[in-house]
Amino acid sequence: MTLKREVGLDILAEKYAYASDPVMGFTSAQKIPDRWVATTCGYCSVGCGIMVGVKEGKAVSVRGNPDHPVNHGMLCPKGLSEHQTIDTETRAKYPILKRNGKHLRVGWDEALDTLVEKFRGVQQKYGPEALGILSTGQLVTEEFYTLGKLVQLGFGTKNYDGNTTLCMASAVSGYKRSFGSDGPPGAYEDLEKADVILLLGANVADNHPILCQRLEANKNKILIVADPRVTKTAMMADVFLPLKPRSDIALLNGLIYLLIENDLVDRDYIARHTTGFEALQESVSKYTPENVSQITGLSKELLVKTALLYGHAEAPFLGWTMGVNHSTKGTETVNAINNLALVTGNVGRPGASPFSITGQCNAMGTREAGFASSLPGYRKFESAADRKELATLWGISPDRLPTSRGLAYPDIVEAALARKIRALWVIATNPVVSFPNLGVLQQSLETLDFFVVQDGFHPTPTSELADLVLPAAIWGEKEGTYTNSERRVSKVNAAVAPQGEARSDFDIFLAVAEKLGCREELFPGWREPNDAFEEWKKISAGRLCDYSGLDYALIEREGGIQWPFPAGTTEVTTTRLYADGNFQTEDGKARLHPVEWEPFPEQPTNDYPFVLNTGRTVEHWHTRTKTAQVPILERLAPNAWLEMNPRDAETLRLRPHVRVDIVSKRGRTNGVELRITEMIAPGQVFMPFHFAETNVNEVTQSAFDPISREPNYKQCAVRVEKTPPGVGSATGRKLFGRKSVSAQERGQ
Amino acid sequence: MTLPLLERAKEQSETFLLTTKRTNDSAGAPHCASTIDIGEPRIPQRTLQAGEQYRFHFDMTKCIGCKCCVVACNEQNGNPAEINWRRVGEIEGGWYPNTQRLHLSMGCNHCLEPTCMTGCPVDAYSKDAITGVVIHSVEICIGCQYCTWNCSYGVPQYNPERGVVGKCDMCHNRLAEGREPACVGACPEGAIQIEIVNIANWKRDYAASANAPGLPSADDSLSTTRITLPKNLPPDTRKVDLNRVKPEHPHWPLVVMTVFTQLSVGAFAAIWLLQMFGQQARLNIAALVSLMVGCLALGASTMHLGRPIHAYRALKMWKRSWLSREVLLFGCFSQISFLYAGLLWLNFPASKVVGALTSLAGIAGVTASACIYLVRPRPAWNSKHTLGEFYLTGALLGPLLAANIGLGARRWLTMMIVTAAAAQLLNLALKFFWLVSSDTFELKAAARLLSMQLRSLMMVRSALLVLGGIVLPLYSSSPVAMAAALGLTFCGEIAGRYLFFVSVVPKNMAASYLTAGKAAA
Repeated sequence: MTLKREVGLDILAEKYAYASDPVMGFTSAQKIPDRWVATTCGYCSVGCGIMVGVKEGKAVSVRGNPDHPVNHGMLCPKGLSEHQTIDTETRAKYPILKRNGKHLRVGWDEALDTLVEKFRGVQQKYGPEALGILSTGQLVTEEFYTLGKLVQLGFGTKNYDGNTTLCMASAVSGYKRSFGSDGPPGAYEDLEKADVILLLGANVADNHPILCQRLEANKNKILIVADPRVTKTAMMADVFLPLKPRSDIALLNGLIYLLIENDLVDRDYIARHTTGFEALQESVSKYTPENVSQITGLSKELLVKTALLYGHAEAPFLGWTMGVNHSTKGTETVNAINNLALVTGNVGRPGASPFSITGQCNAMGTREAGFASSLPGYRKFESAADRKELATLWGISPDRLPTSRGLAYPDIVEAALARKIRALWVIATNPVVSFPNLGVLQQSLETLDFFVVQDGFHPTPTSELADLVLPAAIWGEKEGTYTNSERRVSKVNAAVAPQGEARSDFDIFLAVAEKLGCREELFPGWREPNDAFEEWKKISAGRLCDYSGLDYALIEREGGIQWPFPAGTTEVTTTRLYADGNFQTEDGKARLHPVEWEPFPEQPTNDYPFVLNTGRTVEHWHTRTKTAQVPILERLAPNAWLEMNPRDAETLRLRPHVRVDIVSKRGRTNGVELRITEMIAPGQVFMPFHFAETNVNEVTQSAFDPISREPNYKQCAVRVEKTPPGVGSATGRKLFGRKSVSAQERGQ
Repeated sequence: MTLPLLERAKEQSETFLLTTKRTNDSAGAPHCASTIDIGEPRIPQRTLQAGEQYRFHFDMTKCIGCKCCVVACNEQNGNPAEINWRRVGEIEGGWYPNTQRLHLSMGCNHCLEPTCMTGCPVDAYSKDAITGVVIHSVEICIGCQYCTWNCSYGVPQYNPERGVVGKCDMCHNRLAEGREPACVGACPEGAIQIEIVNIANWKRDYAASANAPGLPSADDSLSTTRITLPKNLPPDTRKVDLNRVKPEHPHWPLVVMTVFTQLSVGAFAAIWLLQMFGQQARLNIAALVSLMVGCLALGASTMHLGRPIHAYRALKMWKRSWLSREVLLFGCFSQISFLYAGLLWLNFPASKVVGALTSLAGIAGVTASACIYLVRPRPAWNSKHTLGEFYLTGALLGPLLAANIGLGARRWLTMMIVTAAAAQLLNLALKFFWLVSSDTFELKAAARLLSMQLRSLMMVRSALLVLGGIVLPLYSSSPVAMAAALGLTFCGEIAGRYLFFVSVVPKNMAASYLTAGKAAA
């Protein structure tokens, strides 16, 4: 502190000065930029239009883009502080190579040469499939498209998946099975037009807050929220369904049963646009209100009320996110949701839609163009016709295209453990915090011959383990497009230059291709993302996810445009899929899949009496590599907590704010602050997954949906005990074994 | 404060409307713009008339606890993350699955009787005559932080980086431009609005809609914020941070200052009394020592200010602020006691009168000192026990100091000391029993702090008082014993004053469950 400040002559007037700006109005002077850059938020899949204010080469403020059709100028607290994520100390600024156990800075040339040499080496020794790639849902579509070609055609491995498998895979598989293709049919406008909205396992108030303004604007709706927890979203509900954990399939089948019984199904629609109704009707016949009431814990009256509300609605909306997807039967649950919508003819009309709310800002982009779980353009690996068409467009032999998808994320981890995969490239994701049952992941990473992490931030718990770290540019530093939950493609623009020597993932992929010798073949003449975009447009032409009528200028003018937008389209309107009842199956009819409820795999026992649920909080994004760097967000939510019902706390003699350990068959998470609250049912506990320091994935389970390979993060059996004094520290961790090893310790 | 649009409105016609700027141009307010058609405008659409003011409306039924308002406010005002002029807290009631978990978002309540303003010694607060917005001036502020004790909601917050306090000003400069305050514009649900309220009507009817579970009573300062509560709130709805009671800041400069001023006043009073009863020897030395103690005290007090160089400004508001009165009265005390000491050294007979005035000024100063703490937001301070404690510190230490300087009338002095010590002990016990048996949350919580985290210190403090103030003086009058008695009692009073500051539990709005500012581990 200066003397002037100590005596009180200096009150830092300049720093705290205000000024009036024609755009922002009267506001803090230091936030007033020289120019505004229009872009799209890089956090969640709501896909808000956001303007970044740049002053002297730095991002100093943001504001919602008033003209963007998604958010009309609104931003959530993460968006409102997003400019603070760019210039932080934890950015990865230089390539880093591990030599003799230490991370040393190297140049790009050496880094890329090493990557190619090591990967090729592993592939030559163990086969092409010995290389695995784990990507993300947060790159721009142009980068996904480039990476897909690089991995499958350049490196020639199909063991390529992304963290979207931890998030959206069940929705994708569910849509494919029901409608013949991925692609959420509805639009955000449906939230304003629907007369009944049923949200299942979707805590939108915390995780997609800007969608809530549409709920608020819809004055004539009835909002039904199904969640085992009294979330902020449940508080908005007109009807709250506090169903027992993982009883969702029973609920859905029970609703269909009641609709059939009350003659509220649309027989005409069923006949014309679906197959399999008889089998479905047969299979739901045992989901009587008595049985369903038993399984879900909801009263028969509530079930009947819900069924009648949905059945009598003109245009009911079904929305879901992670509560449904994070399940060993996630795909089937999505099928059940689609069944409910199909048998009542509630697909593809304003308000009426079975709508998967996507998680990450561009999970949709990798689903469309990523070449991971399907061929680009929603094409199928298994279809010879699709392969031929794509090969022709690319001017390559169809033999070069895989006839099936490769291993999905958890199977890549298993394969690494089994030493079938020897090299791994992780891009823009943080598995050491976000993958379930960390013990398995940690072992698998330790066995790798070569492990590369490409990320905007370093150190992260994952990047600390890497042999090679490639510094990537992040949101705000690069260009491209994102697709949001409602299929709306929006432009992403660079506001500032990348930090240090970081490069956009796009540039990194092209540089790798160069070293690999396939750049000119796969990416002829490409310099900038628009080159990828233009090629991707051609690939998507005629497909459901048709981009061929789009271009950057048009997208910027409109703010964001939904696909399909074929070439020749003159008007930008709200689009819905399957409005005409024609689906993407061979016969054009949707499939009704009977699904059976089962109890979730790890039921509570005497030793592990609680059902552990995991989730999020509005202040943080994923593993906090960004939001922990934003002081105000970190201050609003500084640590994880475990929610427990007062009756259970009393039995265990636990008091508010004490530190507890959570223990499962897999491991232990130490020193979590206890929150005793009536938000959670007796016998259940909840913890947010954001905090690497108290990592809930030490205890979660390796239980995956057989079709989508998505993990069940929402139920496993745990016990809770008071943290012994001294634990929650490095000492404690040494005493209790490897469990919950700190990130710092792991890196050493 | 100028309101250009308002001025124009008065010139032209009554139909001129103060509207939000619509946003098809880029002139939208930061962090907000026209919303999807939610309906009502969020700021007033007409001009204010006489007898009206602006006020916040918070609709708890719409709030989703997203904290957009908190972040938008911080961005708008360039505040560091540790300072949130708008805060969001949580309340909860009922039983699963019929739990009600709700949020409270609050900036400043721009009260009709702003206690921040009445307590301010330097007139740094003003309530705008037209808009009713309570505005704080950083230029005038001396960073004494008294307003942070006077507001029941904890609204003004001290910014250590600046040395001054700050608070929500309803973005009145934005309102003057026809723009929404940052929080209003950023809320995706439209839960925060600015309304016009008729002051007279509100004074009559406020109790129905100014209160909420998790908020201190609107009676304390006549908050103008209207709160829409959900229907059928469970009767047990309460703040979620009830179990997170921590000791308050010790305010060391004030610990020192209050103990030392009371010591000095007590000593001068003892000196004068002894003089009146015929003592003469060594009065001048005692007076000198006492004077030095007094100077130390006043020096210490400026260390509590963020802007000590402007300390003199605190004399301004003696008409309404106890802090200002304290400064004025102790100012008088220091002058008069200086004169008294001088007269004693020079052996003037008039010194007796001056001695009386010194004692009066001193006692008045201590009274004002104590009255500073009689504020509604700090219930454990807001009682006669505070006055008792302050007077008794003086009554105890003053004579002890006198005895140590070797003034005569050993028996009388000992009686004064022991009586004062016994009374202080009784005061302590009575205060504790009052706290323990109260139904008021803040009082009970203070009692809990004292009997748990602060228990050892409480016991030490009491032991020092008994030993130094009763046992030793009764046991022996030797210089060593007297010195020990003074030393122990002095430490006891410092400890007691420390406890006074750290054990108070202030009223505040509901906070969040997690402690802000803690590291994630």
